[in-house]
Amino acid sequence: MEDKLSIILFSGTTDRIIAASVIAQAAAALGTDVKVFATFWGLLNFTKGEKKMMLPKEFESMGPMLMEGMKRDGVKSWYEMLKEAKEFGAKIYACSMTASIMGIKKEDLDPIVDGVVGAATFVQESAGGNTLFI
Amino acid sequence: MEATKVIDSRGSACPGPITDLIKAYRNSKVGDILELWATDLGVKADTDAWAKKTGNEILEVREDPDKIVVKIKINKR
Repeated sequence: MEDKLSIILFSGTTDRIIAASVIAQAAAALGTDVKVFATFWGLLNFTKGEKKMMLPKEFESMGPMLMEGMKRDGVKSWYEMLKEAKEFGAKIYACSMTASIMGIKKEDLDPIVDGVVGAATFVQESAGGNTLFI
Repeated sequence: MEATKVIDSRGSACPGPITDLIKAYRNSKVGDILELWATDLGVKADTDAWAKKTGNEILEVREDPDKIVVKIKINKR
């Protein structure tokens, strides 16, 4: 079986995108063919401009502690981790339907995004590999 | 055995150390000894998984007071 990992990034909260980015970077470095599909709230992180921290309501108060711990322990930002993953060949795709309903145009997308694709592309590209829904 | 290259990943969290190791591995040759220094606790398990996948050999895992040292012999490129 081909060594392949597809990550559907559905959530827009920072905790989940960090988890997705750690796995994306590690897998890509190990030689796995990694593809990240950003859809729904997950796509909100991939428009141009400043990336804001957003946590699920129940963990909101732990934000400062999280930031402090990440700084102390040398955890890179999720954006840097995805860039690192891309250096090892990972690709990041934006969901075309989400982009359309949220009024996000191609030129609004962060340059880290490799392309805008539909569901059929995801099905085709992820076939035969592992898929994570985050 | 003397290390060909020391990779200092101290202070870098997962997946930093394994990424640093793989970058060094890309520039290595068969017979090289890579020595990875890390403070991230996942480094032992991660280097082990990587070595199994790539067919390289862990020669030594040592815990110093300030770091974990993993010595890897490059058998396959």
